[in-house]
Amino acid sequence: MSAVKKFFKAREFTSFLFLVGLFLIVGVINPGFLTLDNISACFNSSVVYTLIAVGMAFAIFIGEIDVSVGSTMGLSAAVAGTMIQNGSNWLLAFLVAILIGVVVGLVNGWGVAVMKIPSLIFTLGTNGILRGLMYLQVGVEQVNSLPKEFKDVSSMTLIGSFTIYYCCAVALTVGIHFLLTRTKRGRWFIAVGDNAGGAELVGIPATRTKVMAYLICGVLSAAAGIIFASRIGIVTSLSGNGYEMKAVAACVLGGISLSGGVGSVIGAGIGAVIMASISYLLVFMGFSSNYDNAITGVILITIVVVDALMQRRAAVNNRHARLAARTSAAPGGKEGLEQ
Amino acid sequence: MEAVGNPGKNVPLLTVRGIYKSFGLNAVLKGIDLDVMPGEVLALIGGNGAGKSTLMKIIMGIYSHDSGQLAVNGEAAALNRPAEALARGIYMVPQEPLLFPNMNVEENITIGFDRGKAELHKELADTMAGIGWNLDLSRKASSLSIAEQQLVEILRGILRHAKLLILDEPTSALTFDEVKSLFKVVRDLREKGIGIIYITHRLAEVFDIATHVAIMRDGMITIQGPVENFTREDLVKGLLPPDAADHTQAKGGASSRVDYSAQPVLELERFSGYGFSDVSLKVWPGEILGVAGVVGAGRTEMATTIFGMDKALGGRVLLNGRDITGKKTRQVIAAGLNYVPEDRHLNGLFKICDVSANTTSASLFGGALGKVFLNRKSEFDLTEKYVKNFRTKVTGHDQLAGSLSGGNQQKIVIGRSLATDPGVVILDEPTRGIDAAARGDVYHIIHQLREQGLSILLISSDMEELEELADRVVTMYQGRVNAEFQKADINQDNLTAAAFGIVKREAKEA
Amino acid sequence: MSEKSPKLGGQSGLRRLWNGPNFRWNFFLLILLAGECAVFGAANEKFLSLTRVFTAANDFLPICMISIFVTFVMITGGIDIQVSSIVGLTSIVIGVAWQDFGLNIWAAVALAVVVAALCGALSGFFIAYCGVQAMVVTLGGSFLYTGLALLVSTLSSTEAYKGISGFPDSFKALTKIKLFDFIPLQIVIFLAMVVVAHLLLHCTKYGRKIYLVGVNPSAAEYSGVNSRLVIMSTYILSAVSAAIAGIIMTSYLGTAKSDLGGSLTMNIITACVLGGTLSTGGKGSVLGTAMAALAIGLLRFGMPLCFKIQAQYLDIPVGVLLVVVVVGRAVASNPNVIAWFGRLRGRGKESRIGA
Repeated sequence: MSAVKKFFKAREFTSFLFLVGLFLIVGVINPGFLTLDNISACFNSSVVYTLIAVGMAFAIFIGEIDVSVGSTMGLSAAVAGTMIQNGSNWLLAFLVAILIGVVVGLVNGWGVAVMKIPSLIFTLGTNGILRGLMYLQVGVEQVNSLPKEFKDVSSMTLIGSFTIYYCCAVALTVGIHFLLTRTKRGRWFIAVGDNAGGAELVGIPATRTKVMAYLICGVLSAAAGIIFASRIGIVTSLSGNGYEMKAVAACVLGGISLSGGVGSVIGAGIGAVIMASISYLLVFMGFSSNYDNAITGVILITIVVVDALMQRRAAVNNRHARLAARTSAAPGGKEGLEQ
Repeated sequence: MEAVGNPGKNVPLLTVRGIYKSFGLNAVLKGIDLDVMPGEVLALIGGNGAGKSTLMKIIMGIYSHDSGQLAVNGEAAALNRPAEALARGIYMVPQEPLLFPNMNVEENITIGFDRGKAELHKELADTMAGIGWNLDLSRKASSLSIAEQQLVEILRGILRHAKLLILDEPTSALTFDEVKSLFKVVRDLREKGIGIIYITHRLAEVFDIATHVAIMRDGMITIQGPVENFTREDLVKGLLPPDAADHTQAKGGASSRVDYSAQPVLELERFSGYGFSDVSLKVWPGEILGVAGVVGAGRTEMATTIFGMDKALGGRVLLNGRDITGKKTRQVIAAGLNYVPEDRHLNGLFKICDVSANTTSASLFGGALGKVFLNRKSEFDLTEKYVKNFRTKVTGHDQLAGSLSGGNQQKIVIGRSLATDPGVVILDEPTRGIDAAARGDVYHIIHQLREQGLSILLISSDMEELEELADRVVTMYQGRVNAEFQKADINQDNLTAAAFGIVKREAKEA
Repeated sequence: MSEKSPKLGGQSGLRRLWNGPNFRWNFFLLILLAGECAVFGAANEKFLSLTRVFTAANDFLPICMISIFVTFVMITGGIDIQVSSIVGLTSIVIGVAWQDFGLNIWAAVALAVVVAALCGALSGFFIAYCGVQAMVVTLGGSFLYTGLALLVSTLSSTEAYKGISGFPDSFKALTKIKLFDFIPLQIVIFLAMVVVAHLLLHCTKYGRKIYLVGVNPSAAEYSGVNSRLVIMSTYILSAVSAAIAGIIMTSYLGTAKSDLGGSLTMNIITACVLGGTLSTGGKGSVLGTAMAALAIGLLRFGMPLCFKIQAQYLDIPVGVLLVVVVVGRAVASNPNVIAWFGRLRGRGKESRIGA
């Protein structure tokens, strides 16, 4: 029991150890990997995943899911990219992109929390609509002549060889983590996912909290879109496709339980680094990046299966312990015999 | 605890006057009067369906009442929402605590407050020191025992400055030591002038912990007053209907027609599992064996373990002399035993399936409905048989089970079990939550089945029902069989006493 | 009681059919299909040419084929988002086994089906026996099987992006033969799958168990149904249907590629939901899903043909369709709305009586 408890206690820490272990193994196989540049490249390249995964974490905290994040990111990248390409004010472009995130988040939140439609189904629908809108925006031509200054921001470093973007993403993640764990309202998200009925009883507005979670998820995805445009420099109609799956995988790798109520955004951030690094690491291990998906799949399935088995075992043990407690009291009729 | 410094010890914390409540035609509360004074521990006792939990939910503002008044500290209060009850200092610790399993103790206690974190932490620490509790605030709620979870719930109540705590069967899942520590807590709270309503099934606890006692039966309070005015026998009498004594006389002579020299159909030999232990009993052909007891006595766990839903820990189950211990549900059904679950909605009914799919759902293995393809004719015949025999009111076989009334749903679930042609049926609370007319129908069905030579294990908390139907009754108490009654000794007095853990010597010897 | 015997009536046969499960929804779908035909037909008469529809069908047949079996999964209360990755895996296994391992083409096809079934069984096992959420397992599965497909493609001497081609005529014939010189064989295969799925789900004991498990898994256990096996089997079925779709696509395109079927997931889930399948389980029908899949297919065919809308934008109408249907259903099942309709109907009756 206590081993299980400890494991749950430090879920994101386990993920972090996993990441370190991964780096070390690659380092043993190919000592050339263990340079600051290579390692910071792993972190820097995860910035888009990090933002989306942190957003997704909110949806998962409340026990739901949002598979429209990839398209939200893509659409915001396309819109902001087009605007900047056409010489509009950067700030305006950013605001429009974020606004897209707000609208998407509110619509998703309305559908899931207010209309009580299963989140996977509803966000799958909005995903389709957003993807289509992206084609309308980007069309056959791509956004590919973004101004150099805009693209250059992505390679500016702030601390050591860590880029401004990644430093901002880390600061944001840590900030959100503190808001979630240290403020009254921050804890509502986890509470709603942990025990929705209990949350209502202690006076937490569950519906509003869920809408808020989707709103944050939409905004962070949109922000990821801006960074995507700046980093990659090209936005096609397929940009962001499949990112939702990577984000879910990152959350799971970071120790967030898909049944809600467990995990932290720090975990999501670490999971994002793992997701982003796998293909990079494979190259250093002498494998082709063809192994990328297969390995991601194996890791993902292994983690969730082990997690589910441990949780189920704990639940069964718990139930049995409760039932056993009833019989282990006085043997039958003891009180009667006193008479 | 400034909350406790209440003015005037003579103003009741809670006053309940003339509360009535019906669900549809079913009157659940018929004029309840109740007072709780500061520093009073009121033990509220009653059988299943007596209306205790309805009354508590009305006090907590979860249900609204039809008529009557509620007052808190002498002021009339509407109590329409849980938030209102909380604001007026009433807090209920539910039987299954509603904690956030993945949060730690402190987060669980302090969530939902508007006050500052440091302030809450200090108050929490002070409170715990004041009562003398040691609970690691950083532990995860999922790692707490039930007793500790209840402590957390109680702390929630105290921190909300609750003046009235309602404890709903707090000891039902506790070990002996945990019960002791809980009692200590209750005494501490009492000292501090907090009023407590203590709902329990265990009469012994009343004399240990309560200052006052109230017994509910059938939506009314039959006995009320300070504990020292009553003996156990008085309390048992209060749990019985007024005419129970007459029943005892009238039914006493009826003799059983069961042939006890034949081989038993179902035999449990020192059968143990999770929630029950060392149960031995025999059921003969054509016999109805009643199993009495209170909720949590381990009866349902015993039945479901026989049925292959949980692991058996020891002993044997013999069906017609064949060992079926630890067999899978399917094999148990095929061997000729079926079970009608206690919770119809959770384990019995397929609500968005039609009547015929429900009736035939347990007959899908074996050849009764065809080999691969569903034989519609057999399905129709089987369904029609049980719809007709049980006089189930349906508009057609294609009516959805969820749209039927409770009684008809129960008939469908019983039909499902009988459709597999069993020799033994375990009926678990077959008439819970259905109206009087449907109850009569179910009784009729049970009589019919016995005529046909089926053996029935009838689990029921309704002593009147057992008196009416059973040929023999065993009672279970805390997971063990503590008494057995032959037909002549089956009366509500005996059964109730034994179910609450009091076995009279003569019954034990019988 | 006998005059109320359901076979003999009380209600007229037509009325019974109308009130029967799924019928009203299927009727709606039929109207939707007819409406599409009318609108697209009016806009461009080419739409009404069956030969054209049959040719275009190759683009949406995989959706139709797979979604009818994903319906099985969803009826048990699960979901399967790995099927599209199995399509690609099947295709590349056929290609590599045939070209690089020298297997007979039909042996390669059989191998691919077996591989797909194993993939389905693996995911199904984790879902049914380990109690992991279907969503996560099949998400992991979609990564794993896409990755496997990629790895299989590296076993080949042909560059992955080119795809393996040059299949024998007997294999290509799968999608070349036309029945009565008119109906392509793949359409016949699809219809056969519909019939088989319909019989399996609605006429066998196995199908009944699928519903029972979906409606109330606990009650199914108490009825002695082996819920876990039933749940696992539905994932095998959906994987095999994905394999069949992969075979058809490979044959039609004449090329085996590892990334075939990549974008099918949303269309498949949409078809299931639009077809009346309850995502919480327990409800759904093969005919409903088949009709919904056809409706989506015709949309994807008609929009570009009649309104010159480019194929890439077709996610918009499909997404809108999905959102409108789920929101519409949520609104319609809201007790307030039902009560309002009841009042409306009641008032209508009164006024009629009054007149």
